[in-house]
Amino acid sequence: MTGPLATVLIVASLLMAAWALVLLIANRPPGRSLWGGVAVFEVVMIAFVIWGLVSAFARQVEFPQLEFVLYLIGLLVLVPAAGWWVRAEKSRAAAAVLLVAFLVVPVMIVRVQQVWEMTSG
Amino acid sequence: MAEPTRRVNRGFGRVLVVIYAVFALAATARSFVQLVTRFDEAPVAYLLSAAAALIYIVATIALARGDRTSHRVATVAIGVELAGVLVVGAFSLVYPEAFPQASVWSTFGSGYLFIPLVLPLVGLWWLHRTRGMGEN
Repeated sequence: MTGPLATVLIVASLLMAAWALVLLIANRPPGRSLWGGVAVFEVVMIAFVIWGLVSAFARQVEFPQLEFVLYLIGLLVLVPAAGWWVRAEKSRAAAAVLLVAFLVVPVMIVRVQQVWEMTSG
Repeated sequence: MAEPTRRVNRGFGRVLVVIYAVFALAATARSFVQLVTRFDEAPVAYLLSAAAALIYIVATIALARGDRTSHRVATVAIGVELAGVLVVGAFSLVYPEAFPQASVWSTFGSGYLFIPLVLPLVGLWWLHRTRGMGEN
C-alpha cells in the first residue's frame, strides 16, 4: 500500500490543490480543464481503491481492516462529492471547495498507509 | 464577501459545508469503528464520540440546506459542538485514562490540527453574518 500509486495520488492531489488555489486567488471558478483533471484524478483513485481492497482481503496478517476499508471508501467519495456540491457554483467558492478536498486527500492516503502498517502478529 | 445574495449555503458557506462534511465523515467512521470493535473499553468516551459525529452530521445538513429553520438548527448544533469540544477537550486533559482512544474532540482536537476548536467559531461567525438571509 506504500506503492507508487499512492505516491502518484499524493503528488497529483497536491498539484490539483495548487491549481485550485491559483483559481481561488484569481477569483475564478473552475474551468473545463480543472474539471477534466478532477475526472482523471478520480479514475486513478478508483484504481487505487480497488487495488487497496483486493490487497486487504488477500492479506494474511492481522491489521485494522475495518478502518482501512472505511478510509478507502472515504477517499473514493470525497472528490466526486465535493465536485457535485459545487457543480453549479459559478464563483471562486467552487475552487475553494476543490482546494479543501484535494488537501484532505493526501492526509487520508497517509492515514491509509499508517493503518496498513498497524500489524499485530 | 460582497455577493448580493449572502445566503448561508453560498459563497464561503459552500466551503464551510465541505469542511463540516469531512468532519462528519471522519467522526462517523471513527466512532463506528470504536463502537463496533472496542465498545466495552470506554463506553462513555465512545458514546461521546458518536454524539460528536451526530452533531457534525446535523450541522452539515443544516448548513447545506440554508433555509430559515436550518439556520436555527445549525446555530444550535454548532453551539453544542463548541461546548462539546471545550468540555471533552478539557476533560480529556484532566482524565486522559477515560479516553484510551482519541475522539475528534480529545485535547481540543489536537489530532486534527485543532480545526475542531476553530471550526465552531467560524461556523457561528458565518451564521451571524448570514442571519435573516435564509428566506424561502
